[in-house]
Amino acid sequence: MSTAAHADHGHDHAHAHHEPGFVEKYLWSTDHKMIAMQYLFTGMAMALVGGFTVYAFRMQLAFPGMSVPGYGRVTATDYNALVTTHGSVMIFWVAMPVLIAALGNYLIPLMIGCDDMVFPRLNRLSYQLFLISAIILVASFYVPGGAFGGAWTSYPPLSAKAEYSLTGLGSSMWLFAVALEFAAFLLGGINFVTTVMNSRAPGMKMFDVPIVVWMIIIASILFMASVGPLIAGAIMLMFDQQLGTGFFDPAKGGDPVLWQHLFWFFGHPEVYVVLLPAMGIVAEIITVFSRKKLFAYKTVLYTAIGTGVLSFFVWAHHQFIAGIDPRMANVFSVTTLLISIPVAEMVFVYIGTLYGGSIRLTTPMLWALAFIAEFLLGGVTGIFLGASGADIYFHDTYFVVAHFHYTFFPIAFIGSFAAITYWFPKMFGKMMNETWGKVHFWGTIIPFNFIFIPLFLLGIRGDHRRIYDYRHFPDLMKAGMQDLRILATISLLVLLAFQVVFLVNFFVSLFRGPKAPMNPWNANTLEWQAPSPPPHGNFPQGLPNVYRGPYEYSHPDRKDDYWPQTEPASEPAKT
Amino acid sequence: MSDTAHAPAAPGSHAVAHASHPDSFYVKIWGVLLVLLVVSVVGPELGIRVVTLFTAFGIAVVKAYLVIKNFMHLGVEKKYVAYLLLTMLALMVVMVGGVGPDVLRHQGTNWDNVAAKKAVEAGLKAGGGHGEHGADHGAPAPGAASPGEAH
Repeated sequence: MSTAAHADHGHDHAHAHHEPGFVEKYLWSTDHKMIAMQYLFTGMAMALVGGFTVYAFRMQLAFPGMSVPGYGRVTATDYNALVTTHGSVMIFWVAMPVLIAALGNYLIPLMIGCDDMVFPRLNRLSYQLFLISAIILVASFYVPGGAFGGAWTSYPPLSAKAEYSLTGLGSSMWLFAVALEFAAFLLGGINFVTTVMNSRAPGMKMFDVPIVVWMIIIASILFMASVGPLIAGAIMLMFDQQLGTGFFDPAKGGDPVLWQHLFWFFGHPEVYVVLLPAMGIVAEIITVFSRKKLFAYKTVLYTAIGTGVLSFFVWAHHQFIAGIDPRMANVFSVTTLLISIPVAEMVFVYIGTLYGGSIRLTTPMLWALAFIAEFLLGGVTGIFLGASGADIYFHDTYFVVAHFHYTFFPIAFIGSFAAITYWFPKMFGKMMNETWGKVHFWGTIIPFNFIFIPLFLLGIRGDHRRIYDYRHFPDLMKAGMQDLRILATISLLVLLAFQVVFLVNFFVSLFRGPKAPMNPWNANTLEWQAPSPPPHGNFPQGLPNVYRGPYEYSHPDRKDDYWPQTEPASEPAKT
Repeated sequence: MSDTAHAPAAPGSHAVAHASHPDSFYVKIWGVLLVLLVVSVVGPELGIRVVTLFTAFGIAVVKAYLVIKNFMHLGVEKKYVAYLLLTMLALMVVMVGGVGPDVLRHQGTNWDNVAAKKAVEAGLKAGGGHGEHGADHGAPAPGAASPGEAH
């Protein structure tokens, strides 16, 4: 396979003079970098959809009944659809395309030193399916009944019957979009795994592969191994919705808990599918900006694999109050608490990497450090929820919402911002503005905490989730609880406003930013040995050879504090 | 990877020797599968429980193995492909093991989890029987083991 990839490289160059048209270049490209950009920009556009929906329903919670500027009055059905769409979009159409598809596509060939993915056309098909799924999801807002309103977990019987969810067509469109999106990521995952197995640069052994690439591979394998039951479940649910079968309908002898199992058997590994790439991004950034070797490379790798394996044994902790067998609740409590060990180990390793390093607080480094701090809070609060006894009290409160967002926001947004600010010079050949980058950083992190700490407090006081208008529940309106909701919503508005800073910085830098050198951060990994931005085929000077691991920073035998993977071993003797 | 399976025969190479089976080899496997099919149909006809289990499910596993190994070329693939397959099978067992207690032993159309109820009752009784709860509270709480409470 490796030989085939090298042969393709030559072939591509033979055709290099043919200038592709707009459609061929931007919509029909098989170049991994272009497909990565397509995923990135689609993910960013969908983030605007996810951001707008949360704006509308948080306004309703803080100021019930008001006409939300830019949206209008949020009805009860609207509220359900907005919450469902926010959850689905942020997880399936923002976190996954940006963290796995965009970064996996962009980084894997560049970081392992080859010219493209091994299945470029499969890659293109993957994006096209993903785009269609996004269009179907957005279109579902405009069908009779509106978008699906049965939450991103789509539990039957609510989701199985139009008379319950009130969104007959919207439910099926949501389900179809999700299934299509999974097919897209299966194609992408197969491509990633095969590429890393077969197309590594000469000399790149398994332990020379950068951690972020390993993480994306492990995540892809987790995804491929866990998604099958849910795709099968989605088809069964579609049959329930459209053909009147009763797989999940208790009135017909079906079992709604079965859906929950099928969903969470995928849904929990899914958390690690997005977490691991973010962990990988952080590993790359903290080594570069503390000028230190990654502390315990093999430990991180084995820990990530261990986390992946364990993640298949924890799913039913989402169902402690669903009436599952109490014997299983014990088992799943134990496995859930166990999985916090490897994740905590990774966090310790990262702190060990920082210790004694010469730390540079650039924008990407700030994001990486914030990831560690904020994710830690999410992880620690998860321990309360993992214990089935405590979860019975917390499960339907805002405590879960706050915990979830303390894990997912660092993954999906802090991780993505870290990656975008770090690889922007390579992706677009321009430098981003550091000052505005830092303004955006603080303008995101501070309001983020002001959104979700109030939600923790509300949860502890028993604030129930999934309520459209708290005025109907006097017990949940007393003693400052509404004030906390208003604080969270206003903080959200501030956070959303600061994203404008990011978008302006992104696009102004893209068109008018100073030109980026080949290796602006003095990093070791292979992508920094390609021009910025890399041309078609990635390495015009010829595909690189690899001589060492990716994290040789501040090596005592060397004058420079970095040692690129491509530099032959004889170099340090000369310097 | 599958290229190996279609590679022209090079005498002496173990992998390639397997890969270049003549058509008659596949016909032989097919013959074995047919014989097994007959056994799996006749076996359950005898009406003996153990024989039914072995001839229906046991033979099905053997047939699946033969198909995967020979017709789906697992026999000539790299070893990790077999490990991948085994991992997926293990995950299937994990999933069924976790889901089974909740969805397999239900009564009626109200997804009343009989097995779970029994377990809770047994647990409550065992707790009372050892005197742990009884000693703490003087006497078991009235109705603690009633099925309604357990659910």
